[in-house]
Amino acid sequence: MAKRARQISIDKELLHLTPEERHRQWAARVEAVIFASSEPVTRKALERVVGQDCDIEAIIGEIQEALVGRPYELVAVAGGWQHRTRPEFGDVIHASGTANAPPADLTDHQALVLMTIGYFQPVTRAEISKIFGREVSRDTIATLRQLGFLASGPRSPTPGAPYTYITTPAFLAAFGFDTLRDLPDTEMLEDAGLLTRKLPVDDFVEPELEDDED
Amino acid sequence: MAGGALYPLDQIVRAEFDWVGAWRQRLALKCAAAAVRLTGRSEDEASLRDAWLLRKPGDDPGPAGQILAAWKRLASRSAALDVDVLQTIAGMLGIKWDEPLATLVQSFDDLGLTGSAAPFAAAAIMRETVAIRPDAEVLGWWLADLLLAQKLRWSVPVPLLMGQRFSSVFRAEGGRGRIRPGDDGFERAICLALVHAATEAGRLATEIARRADRLAAVTPKLRSKGADDGLRLLLCEDAVSGSLQTPNLSRFASRRLFERLQQLDAVRELSGRPTFRIYGL
Repeated sequence: MAKRARQISIDKELLHLTPEERHRQWAARVEAVIFASSEPVTRKALERVVGQDCDIEAIIGEIQEALVGRPYELVAVAGGWQHRTRPEFGDVIHASGTANAPPADLTDHQALVLMTIGYFQPVTRAEISKIFGREVSRDTIATLRQLGFLASGPRSPTPGAPYTYITTPAFLAAFGFDTLRDLPDTEMLEDAGLLTRKLPVDDFVEPELEDDED
Repeated sequence: MAGGALYPLDQIVRAEFDWVGAWRQRLALKCAAAAVRLTGRSEDEASLRDAWLLRKPGDDPGPAGQILAAWKRLASRSAALDVDVLQTIAGMLGIKWDEPLATLVQSFDDLGLTGSAAPFAAAAIMRETVAIRPDAEVLGWWLADLLLAQKLRWSVPVPLLMGQRFSSVFRAEGGRGRIRPGDDGFERAICLALVHAATEAGRLATEIARRADRLAAVTPKLRSKGADDGLRLLLCEDAVSGSLQTPNLSRFASRRLFERLQQLDAVRELSGRPTFRIYGL
């Protein structure tokens, strides 16, 4: 996409227009770009279509104001902006059957695994299994990976050197978080002692290993 | 008083010893551990080191590892700041980016040019950051260390202040609670913190210098072909993975190299594990 943007040159500054017209044109461009994109649009991308002294924040503000009372809105997610229908229309859209498959049709179990990784990352599959009290299958992790919500982090220094899993920016975008600190109820969970890394002691005794890396 | 404490540090930075990289990176690790704690995560120095060294090059080390990456970057690049750098760092520290934060670059440059003493400028940028975004305290500490280096004309910053965030100097007098960036006496606390940090950094420098001397003394005894790569990394990084691979050094060769160095008492094994060993000065 960036390549194409470099090839097509457009008049960004619009010096031949009056300031009001210019502002209107810039605002229209910003809205068009965000509308056309299926992913959150970053500030950098917007700067490619508007002039130097364009106040993008103000334009975003105007668009948001204009959308008050509409069934969709402009929201800031994952470091960019995106058009979204308001959450209360979710059921209606699903009922109509017209919308594409949602980005993730997660089962409860998959969603739970994903949230666990969100809070505990980087975490290995074995550790997640310990938290759940039963084995979390490779398939669950693979599905979440395929959906682009998970990526591999550093390897864990435990026997077998398993990969740990971490969440991706796509995870933040899909669930409407801006940063990992926005995960719900972090403080409450902390106070309840659920986020300490002290996992329950298990009775699995680690076999004596030779002096051997991986 | 802070000036007096900074003098020996200044000497170390300006002398540009060959081990200064290891020293900076170890201070960065200490600061990152404090930063991680401030953001409410539970990783300690050892697990940060693991996350950093056990990932594949280019892989994301996870949120805590990203915080370490921010401090490592502080301790390895020059003390200049622009909006892109600030945005990258905010991303690494897990702070949501918005426009008001960009004004910090201007304040940073202004403070760099005014005549105020380094610790006061550092305190001012902290105040500014927290005033703009109360949840961006970590970023404030990062900027404070950067500004300190710029004020003292160090080519590369030394991570100092963040490591003192949880020390007693920020304890409010008489009562409970901490001195926050907005409170009276914050400047005083920053000065004290700087004295503590400088003393600790000086002590660490003495220790690392001694170990680096030891390493230099045993170097002639090494016969491994690619030993230079390993030695250079030991001097410019906080720690090196025991299975380091470079073009001249296979992971078996590096394992033998580090074992030999450990026998000669020139490096320490830092993780305390029999496997996935991590070596450092």
